[in-house]
Amino acid sequence: MIENIIDYLKEERSQEWRAELRKSLKAKERTSRERVKMPEEDPNIRNKSNTEVNTGLPIENAVLEAQRCLDCPEPTCMDGCPVGINIPKFVKKIEAKDFLGAASVLKETNGLPAVCGRVCPQEKQCEASCFYTVKLKKPPIAIGYLERFAADYERNSGKMAVPEVHEKNGIKVGVVGSGPAGLAAAGDLAKFGYDVTVFEALHEIGGVLKYGIPEFRLPNEIVDVEIDNLRKMGVKFKTNFLVGKTASFDDLKKEGYKAFFVGSGAGLPRFMNIPGENYNGIFSSNEYLTRINLMHAADTEYDTPVISGKNVAVIGGGNTAMDSVRTAKRLGAERAIIIYRRSEKEMPARVEEIKHAKEEGIEFMNLHNPLEYYADENGRVNRMKVQKMELGEPDASGRRRPVPIEGSEFYIDVDTVVVSVGVSPNPLIPKALSHLKVTDWGTIVVDKETMQSSVPEVFAGGDIVRGGATVILAMGDGRKAAAGIHKYIQETVKAN
Amino acid sequence: MADLTTKYLGLTLRNPIVVASSGLTDSVEDIVELDKNGVGAVVLKSIFEEQILLEAEHSLRKAEEDSMIYTELSETLDYIDEHIKEKELGNYLDLIREVKSKVMIPVIASVNCITTREWTTFAKQIEDAGADALELNVFIMPFNFDANSIEKEQVYYDIVNKVKELVNIPVSVKISPYFANLGKVIQRLEEHGANGVVMFNRFASPDIDTDAEKVTSAEVLSHPFEMANTLRWVAIMSGRLKMDIAASTGIHDGDAVVKQLLAGATVTQMASAIYKNGPEHIVNVLKFVNDWMDKKGYNYIDQFRGKLSQGKMEHPEVYERMQFMRYFSEIK
Repeated sequence: MIENIIDYLKEERSQEWRAELRKSLKAKERTSRERVKMPEEDPNIRNKSNTEVNTGLPIENAVLEAQRCLDCPEPTCMDGCPVGINIPKFVKKIEAKDFLGAASVLKETNGLPAVCGRVCPQEKQCEASCFYTVKLKKPPIAIGYLERFAADYERNSGKMAVPEVHEKNGIKVGVVGSGPAGLAAAGDLAKFGYDVTVFEALHEIGGVLKYGIPEFRLPNEIVDVEIDNLRKMGVKFKTNFLVGKTASFDDLKKEGYKAFFVGSGAGLPRFMNIPGENYNGIFSSNEYLTRINLMHAADTEYDTPVISGKNVAVIGGGNTAMDSVRTAKRLGAERAIIIYRRSEKEMPARVEEIKHAKEEGIEFMNLHNPLEYYADENGRVNRMKVQKMELGEPDASGRRRPVPIEGSEFYIDVDTVVVSVGVSPNPLIPKALSHLKVTDWGTIVVDKETMQSSVPEVFAGGDIVRGGATVILAMGDGRKAAAGIHKYIQETVKAN
Repeated sequence: MADLTTKYLGLTLRNPIVVASSGLTDSVEDIVELDKNGVGAVVLKSIFEEQILLEAEHSLRKAEEDSMIYTELSETLDYIDEHIKEKELGNYLDLIREVKSKVMIPVIASVNCITTREWTTFAKQIEDAGADALELNVFIMPFNFDANSIEKEQVYYDIVNKVKELVNIPVSVKISPYFANLGKVIQRLEEHGANGVVMFNRFASPDIDTDAEKVTSAEVLSHPFEMANTLRWVAIMSGRLKMDIAASTGIHDGDAVVKQLLAGATVTQMASAIYKNGPEHIVNVLKFVNDWMDKKGYNYIDQFRGKLSQGKMEHPEVYERMQFMRYFSEIK
């Protein structure tokens, strides 16, 4: 199988147009170029609005960046991509100014390139494995920027292709959750000809892409275009539908559903269990972001209570923490503070998000940990006690464990606190299927190749399997599961 | 038949035999068994900060082995120690609730704390879960050579202060004998609000295997000879404290229980002897105490408790004699 991929890549690379392109510029000329910079909205403008921070590469810069790529015979960048995008091919299509062609290469393996180009941690994936990073010790090809460029170009061209679908086979498959895993599974299942219905618990389609990632990082419009495409492919969506509550798996099976993909995500927030955490004004990042992104809490036209605090503390150092704190700033916070118990080096957030947050005036209190919250007479949080930390010995993950400094406690005035210390898998599906095998973490146990769970007709992927993954990993799971479901139905359902 | 009823930490115990915090007291089934065999009270297995950290590391390793679980960039895994702690604490609170629903004897929870941080606040949740009392197992490792003993002692007092502020249930403190001025420290624990002191904590200790030239663990279970130091300090302190005293370490049989009561202990804590002989051993211990009291004509424990404490001795120096001066100097 791997040999086939290598042969396939070799064959693709030897095509005339690629060979010609390689000859068009000397390797030295390519490597001597500086990596392009992503144009950004002014920090002082963007931190007061929901405008997208990264504005996208102009055509000429995209082509210049694509020219840096050496079109390596062994493209190591692909090793870093969880869905195996043919990176050199799409980059070279950009160099050849065939931008729609580039988008179509991306779509061979990635249904949501405009999303991934924006939110994937490329610096830890494809770009980390780029020849420039590994061998030349130079900034890598801006693969993420180029992915976004190609996808945006296609969307804005009005020539967005709807993938071809097989003739409908009338077999019903249910997809639970409309996040990246569910959407990817739905797309592939529709291509195979299944009658696909996506069940979404919330009132909007898109899962974490909508409720979790804010507009300034991933505009909803981009997600909606992808959802529309799925609709055009025949995928049906049912919102406000909780599988396991609104209808059970058995109910759905009686309605004719032969298999299910569960991509119900990791929507169960975690708290730190410290005193005062139940006071008003203290939210989980899930609740905070959902209220604002989906329920328009910041909009006076809507009933959702406004939660724009003046002094907002966000606890945590991941991407969700960055999204929350930057959202708070946009809602008018005078002080929007990240409180993280380790140092910046250990932060799980993307480097770019940390950089953007700093530019926008976010305060970072690294090596600090909350101890207790206090409230006014109405039960609204008004103060918190934090303690300074220092880094101790590395733990099993290699990160240095934070150790409190005795006697270093002090108080900060806050009126809003967002706790963003991770999430747990959504327990609803495991609870609804008592014989479903789950790990100690509450994630669903699946076969790594087919994504089939211990309940034969149930397949799963994304955060419900991985605990907390990236968009691209979730999508990879969704696609793998779609193939698994297809095989399962071919073998079992059709045989009966 | 003598009356063995004992008041400890304001609680009424049917007898002064308490099973110490140990693996014997970490499950409902085992505690029900201890109850059936007549124990006076149990101290639940301690919940340790160190244990939580080890569990977190174990879970992380397990997650990494299972490649499906995503460990990089994960906010959840960044805070895995917090989540494990939450889970462990949740399990502990469930244990308290379940044990309380199954047995009538007092159930004393135990927290191992080394700082005044979150572990003290956990005390409130323990109280809410229904524990009858709380035993704080405190030991500040003396490996920080920059800190002086006053600073270290202060941590003990701060922990007691903090916990007493938070809870209404009685609080005892289990300590080691390793203090420069042990008696004063115990008195000061009382001044800071402790309702009882448990003397003493017995630590896991290292040993060396000379054949393999390796550091190993010393024997886990205690021996009866280890009781002597406890006996000395129970006798010295019992007349000097208003708070209760639980004698612990090396108490293996009824005879040892009687000795500790004579020295002034309110209750005695046992673990090793029950590990060795099973929960039925409690029946034998109680029988011995009963028979001894009958033989001596005591109807209830207060008639003899502290009879041989230092304060009541004609020659109090007997508990203070530390050096075997003449004895050793005469050995040729």
